[in-house]
Amino acid sequence: MKNTVSLTRVESFNERGIKEAAYHTLDMLNCKPSGNLKHVMIKPNLCYYWDYSTGETTDPRLVSSIIDYIRERWNPKTEIAIVESDASAMRTRHVFKMLGYEALAEEKSVELVNLSEDETCEKEVTVGKQKITLPLPKSLLECNFFINVPKLKVGPYAGGQCLHITCALKNLFGCISKPRKVDYHPQLSEVIVGINKLVKPNLTVVDGIVALGKHPVKLGIVIAGEDNLAVDFVAAKVMGYNPWRIKHLRLAAEEKVGDVKDVEIVGENIENICKVFPKRSRLGFKIKWGMQLSLLRLYIKISGDVVPSVLEKM
Amino acid sequence: MIKVGVVGLGKMGMLHLKNCCFINDAKVVAACDASKSKSQKARGMGIKYVYNDYKDMLKSADVDALIIALPNFMHLESICAAAEAGKDVFVEKPLAPSVDECEKIARVVEKYGVKLMVGHNYRFFDSVEKVKNEFEIGIVGDVELATFELALNGPFAPAIEPTPVPEWYFTKEGIGMGCLDSGYHLIDLFQWFFGEAEVLYAHLGYRYHLPYEDSAIIVLRSKNESAKGVLNVGWFSKAIFPKFDFRMILHGTAGFMSTDQYAPKNLYVHAAKEGMKNVLRRLFGRTISPLTYTYYYASYAKELKHFFNCIKTDSEPLVTVDEARKNVEVIERIYQEYGKVIPYESAEKLHKIYTQ
Repeated sequence: MKNTVSLTRVESFNERGIKEAAYHTLDMLNCKPSGNLKHVMIKPNLCYYWDYSTGETTDPRLVSSIIDYIRERWNPKTEIAIVESDASAMRTRHVFKMLGYEALAEEKSVELVNLSEDETCEKEVTVGKQKITLPLPKSLLECNFFINVPKLKVGPYAGGQCLHITCALKNLFGCISKPRKVDYHPQLSEVIVGINKLVKPNLTVVDGIVALGKHPVKLGIVIAGEDNLAVDFVAAKVMGYNPWRIKHLRLAAEEKVGDVKDVEIVGENIENICKVFPKRSRLGFKIKWGMQLSLLRLYIKISGDVVPSVLEKM
Repeated sequence: MIKVGVVGLGKMGMLHLKNCCFINDAKVVAACDASKSKSQKARGMGIKYVYNDYKDMLKSADVDALIIALPNFMHLESICAAAEAGKDVFVEKPLAPSVDECEKIARVVEKYGVKLMVGHNYRFFDSVEKVKNEFEIGIVGDVELATFELALNGPFAPAIEPTPVPEWYFTKEGIGMGCLDSGYHLIDLFQWFFGEAEVLYAHLGYRYHLPYEDSAIIVLRSKNESAKGVLNVGWFSKAIFPKFDFRMILHGTAGFMSTDQYAPKNLYVHAAKEGMKNVLRRLFGRTISPLTYTYYYASYAKELKHFFNCIKTDSEPLVTVDEARKNVEVIERIYQEYGKVIPYESAEKLHKIYTQ
């Protein structure tokens, strides 16, 4: 059976346009949960206190459209929760409020859950030859239906050590209960693959409405699929990257996190979209960022000057 | 040599402490912070006397001047205690969160005859100094319209080492004011250039659903001159260091000028040039100018240098207590007439939030 990933263009950047695009993408995918859908968890990317217009976090209007879709097409009585966990510099209770999710939850009568405050269980997973133990929220592991709603972006992370696409697989990194996730950065790719082996979303809907490359761009695209890895492979191509050259995607494919061999793309043509994505060069970033920090370290050493607090521990 | 104590070792306190190391006339001999880890960090930086309460510092440490970098609501109490102990004070802006408190501070400072300077570091930007000089000469004629802009990430500016934004930034009580905390600088520049201002209009925005404003448009008019100014300020911008979205433009009867004319066109080229100058200073055994490579942070060392020079020469600081009070007065008027009034809670309650 073919693994379908659907792509839809957002015709207008307003609530209606986003809703139409979300519905069209999900209809093309023809995803239907089996049995009585009691409880759904939706995990947007709310990594920091910057809203969707910066290209950093998931647009609440897309999440709102997904909630409507679930209730209109699947089950009007489904209980829905929007989930996120604390991060090293972000606190979920504040991010929900600041990015409009508190207002959304009130409007749609859905629950907001901070996964870092949930009951946790330690899960061990093997990635390659490495054994990794991750603290995971129990509610997520017991969830009836899990929808991953990442942002389409590429950016520096792991303290600026590397440049990666941050989409479907990476968004599950935010399901780890531990707030200080910066501790996982030395083995980031392995941890991303590990969490994706432990937590399997039933559906992934990517917010590419405002995407982030070298700068934010109104890309106006929604991508959906049932296979998290297949979605990321398509997302990488949309951004103009070869997915096999992205470490965590290659590792995930080797670890059989998903199936990328028989992917059928329906809807928009990738080639047309990737032309407008402001691609960020991985080599360029590494040289520019690495060189800046090295020069600054050298300068501090020679001159005896100091660094401002934002650059401390560089 | 002026013996200095630094009170409050958050971002600003630490910055001042570091800057003091490059000022020949001053030496930090004591530091204090309620957080033990922060005070220990100061000890690690070679500060001899370290305290967890500034009152203990005032009792036992031999200091001539204090740098106060505590939350705004603690300014009144700490400045009064320092003045009573006969210490000169440099305090981070705003002088206090209310006009009432500013006036109390002014009375105490006058009574004990100590120097007090408020950290209006924007006055010390090279670009602002140049525009001010040209304005004073009369190059642009009479200024009819002026624009002041500052868009930052406010308390949400990320650092290389990710740490959570302190809890008190998310409460009305803790922060006292929203992005007008930064708008304070623009109000100060307007009044510094054109004299006392009246508020013609203000609009406060709440994009991020915080209990305080994250954007503001303010229209001011000078009471003595014809100048009118639009001030745009916000805490909504993701612009990350070293990017710095600040400018002022003067439109006069004889011409116009902008700080952009004097700000570095390319921050990386600026960093390289300034860095090279410091390397040469070091090679020739001279004191370096700290953080000049950042453009933005250089102003902090300059204002401190000015403060210590005022102590040394017994002269009046560039920023007077009355000017600082007038800025707070404008902010109070904006909140009263155009925005949500942020209740100013008791210091005891605020202290609880701060130390949570």
